[in-house]
Amino acid sequence: MANKILIIDDDEQLRNVCRDFLAEGGYEVDCAEELEEAQSLLTFIPYSVVITDLRLSKLAFGGLDVIRHIREQALRARVIVLTAYGWPDLKAEASASGIDAFLRKPARLSELGAAVHTLIGATS
Amino acid sequence: MTKSLLETILDPSKLSVLFQPIFEVQNGIKRLDSLEALIRGPQGTNFNRADILFDYVRRKKAEVAVDHTCFMAVCDEVMRLPAEVRVNVNVHAATLGQSCGFVEFFRRCAKKRSLKLERFTIEIVEHAPSCDASQLTTTILQLRELGIRIALDDVGLGQSNYRMMLDCDPEYFKLDGYFVRNLNRDPKRRAVVASLVALSESLESAVVAEAVGSQEDLSQVAELGVNLVQANILCPAMPLAELQKLGYVDATPDFDAMPGSDAAFGKMQNFDRRDMRFAAAAGQSFYT
Repeated sequence: MANKILIIDDDEQLRNVCRDFLAEGGYEVDCAEELEEAQSLLTFIPYSVVITDLRLSKLAFGGLDVIRHIREQALRARVIVLTAYGWPDLKAEASASGIDAFLRKPARLSELGAAVHTLIGATS
Repeated sequence: MTKSLLETILDPSKLSVLFQPIFEVQNGIKRLDSLEALIRGPQGTNFNRADILFDYVRRKKAEVAVDHTCFMAVCDEVMRLPAEVRVNVNVHAATLGQSCGFVEFFRRCAKKRSLKLERFTIEIVEHAPSCDASQLTTTILQLRELGIRIALDDVGLGQSNYRMMLDCDPEYFKLDGYFVRNLNRDPKRRAVVASLVALSESLESAVVAEAVGSQEDLSQVAELGVNLVQANILCPAMPLAELQKLGYVDATPDFDAMPGSDAAFGKMQNFDRRDMRFAAAAGQSFYT
C-alpha cells in the first residue's frame, strides 16, 4: 500500500506542485488549505508524512496547531515544516512541538523529496 | 473573489444526495420502509467523504448553516421521488437546540416544492457534548406538530445517550453499527441490543439496526426483535436513479411537469437562500 502524504498550505500553486511531484514518486497525496480541513483529514486518514506551512489562511501559526494536533492525538505521522519563516525562536518552538524536519521556502523539490524519503524509510 | 472552503460547501448545487433504503424485514422478506438521505460534499474535494465533510463542519461550528443547505439539497431530490416514499434527513442537535428558525425554514422549503411534511423523519445527530435541552425539546414539539417524526441517530455512542432519549422522545432509535457487528459471535453485544430493544418498547419507539454486516447478524437482530434494518448487504447508499433502476422505488412520474420544477425553480432557490440569511440573522453566523 502506498504511503499517504498530507500537504497543508494555503498557497494552491505550491500545494499542486508538491502534490504532483510526490505523486510521481509513487506516494498518495492529499492537500488541505486550512487548519480545520487538515484536522478532519487527520482524524480519518492515517498519513505517514505531513508537510505543513506555519502560516495557514490568515492564522499566523496555524501550522503549529496542526503539529500539536498530531502529537496530542498520538498520530504516527512524521512532520515536515515547509515555511518562509526562519526565525530561530519559531524554529525552536516548532522543534519542541515534535517536528521531524524543517525546510525553508523556497526549498528545492529534490530536498523535499529527500526529506520525505528519509522519514518514510525511518518509519517502515 | 475566491470562495472560502465553507462557502463552497454551503452551495446546495455542489452537494450530492444519495439514498439508502431502510427495510422492514419479516421472515426473510424485505419491504421498503423509508430512505435515508445522505449528503456528499463537492466532487473533487476532500469533502466528498461524508465523515470528513461533517467533521470539518463541526470544527467550523457551522452546523446550522450546513443543515439548512443540506435540507435544501435533499428537498430538490425528494421532488423526484414518488409521493408515498418516506425520507429521513439528518440534522444536528446543535441546530435544533437553538432558535435559528429551522422549523420555519423546513416548512417553507418543503411547501415550496409541494412536499408533504409528514413524509419526513428527522434523524438527530449529535457530536457536541451538550446543547440547550429546553430549546431542543421546544423545536421537536414544533416539528411533531407539523407531522414530522423523530429518530435518534447513533444510539449507544457519544452523545446519543439516555438523556437524549428522554429529551427527544424519538419514534425511532437508530442503533449504531458498532453494536450489531459480529452480534452472532458476541453474547455481550447481544445483551446490549436486547436491553435497547426492551427500552425502546417501554418508550414506545422502534429500533432500526444500522450497518448490519452479515446474514448471520441479520438473523440475530431479527431474533432480538428488530425488524427495521439499514445495511449495505441489503442495499448500499446510491443515487436515486440507481435505486430506481434496481426497482426499490418507482421511476419518477414526470419531473418536468411537477410544481416547482419549471423556470421558477431558480427563483425558489433564491428565496431559500434569503430564508437562510434570515435564519442567520436570528441565530448563528453562517460563516465562522
